Amino acid sequence: MKTLGLLLSFLFAFQAHAQVSDFNHIDFKKADSMALVYKGAGLKNLPELSHNLTSNLETDVERFRAIYKWVCTNVSNDYGLYLKNKKKREKFENDSLKLDAWNESFKKKLFSKLRKRKKTICSGYAYLVSELSRLANINCRMVNGFGRTSSTAIDNFNAPNHSWNAVKLNDKWYLSDPTWASGIVHPNNYGFKFNYNNGLFLTNPEFFVLTHYPIEPKWMLLEGDLPSFQSFLENPILYGNAYKHLTIHQTPNKLNNTIQKNETITFKYELLEPIDLNKISFIIDNGFKTITAKPSSIILDELSLTLEYQFDNTGYYDTHFLIGDDLIVSYTFKVEN
Amino acid sequence: MKTHVTLTQNRANLITSRMIQHLIFGLFMIATLTFNSLSAQTQTSSNTEINVKGMVSDEYGPLTGVNIALKGSNVGAITDSDGTFIFPQALKPNDVLIFSYLGYETRRVKIKADTNFINLQLVSEAIDIVGALASDKPYKSKRSF
Repeated sequence: MKTLGLLLSFLFAFQAHAQVSDFNHIDFKKADSMALVYKGAGLKNLPELSHNLTSNLETDVERFRAIYKWVCTNVSNDYGLYLKNKKKREKFENDSLKLDAWNESFKKKLFSKLRKRKKTICSGYAYLVSELSRLANINCRMVNGFGRTSSTAIDNFNAPNHSWNAVKLNDKWYLSDPTWASGIVHPNNYGFKFNYNNGLFLTNPEFFVLTHYPIEPKWMLLEGDLPSFQSFLENPILYGNAYKHLTIHQTPNKLNNTIQKNETITFKYELLEPIDLNKISFIIDNGFKTITAKPSSIILDELSLTLEYQFDNTGYYDTHFLIGDDLIVSYTFKVEN
Repeated sequence: MKTHVTLTQNRANLITSRMIQHLIFGLFMIATLTFNSLSAQTQTSSNTEINVKGMVSDEYGPLTGVNIALKGSNVGAITDSDGTFIFPQALKPNDVLIFSYLGYETRRVKIKADTNFINLQLVSEAIDIVGALASDKPYKSKRSF
């Protein structure tokens, strides 16, 4: 009996050792293909769906991947529902009884819509990922907090507006955002477009925190000095596509900047993979006209990208950094004499 | 002197607790064996398996469409419009049924030899519904000239 136990523990130890903690070495093709096989599957039987997605996969990270990918590519975002909820939540902000009542009735509607039409808003995504994961014995939970986007109120958050996931794999917690990964809302007609963004899967917490500020600070998964909420409100506006191309954003570290005419501004980023440097551009809007400009200097050192730019005239400039057509990050520059 | 007494006492304690451990383990083994043979006997003699029926509701009444899955398999049932279900496969003691319904906390129920009817009330998930969407709309500052 003892020998058997010893043998088993050896086996497990070997397995643990063989599992790469850096998941870059794991090929997610098989997990992704499971998500594809069950594309279109319904949400009426979660245990079966979870079982189908995960039972052929070897590791927890692959199982989690299959679930996450399935949710991101099968559940669509309901903008009408989002707006309705937002309006009510703002209305009842100071009346917790009414807010609770609204939340209770809306929850029913949301889950019924999710069950029947696979449409939801972000709590629904995060909820579904954590629920399917738990059915596959993966420790996954929802994290509530503040999501910073170009269209949420930039300097004034009334209440938490976003949910995402923390998942424990090989005894370590990771962060993912299935809502932002699934696609985007069209800026004009508010329709939802599936457009899977892999950059929000097990994202670097240091980068993630620039756009996701959890209510409970421990879910930042950071050590040492934690960024304050005030500094979060001053961050540049990063878009979902930032996660597609970058692993870290360094400078300028504020949205609003005041500089002198002809002063050199340095933009520093870490890239996820090498890019064609010709695709780099700025779109600059001075309130009257919009121009496309190239940086005055571009330096690429392995994956560290450093750009420089100077403004020749005083003014107030909304400045957007783009790679190809992908909007990455926005800043404003007040240029003085 | 005092220390010495405590030491021996500790050792005595240790010995007794070891003995108790062994005793419990032994009893446990015997119990398991007996139960196993007992249940084996009942199964072979009367040829009964555990057929499970049940009803699932929430605080307002019966729930339709609740999934009941046998843990580790792909066999399952769904509750009818009156919240009732009949599990399609005969079960064994210690089988676990997973009850899941979107928006409600998932419950696991262990089957015992005398489980024939499961009456379960699900509790709705305590979550706040919020949502910020990813947007590709370029940021526009509110300038004051």
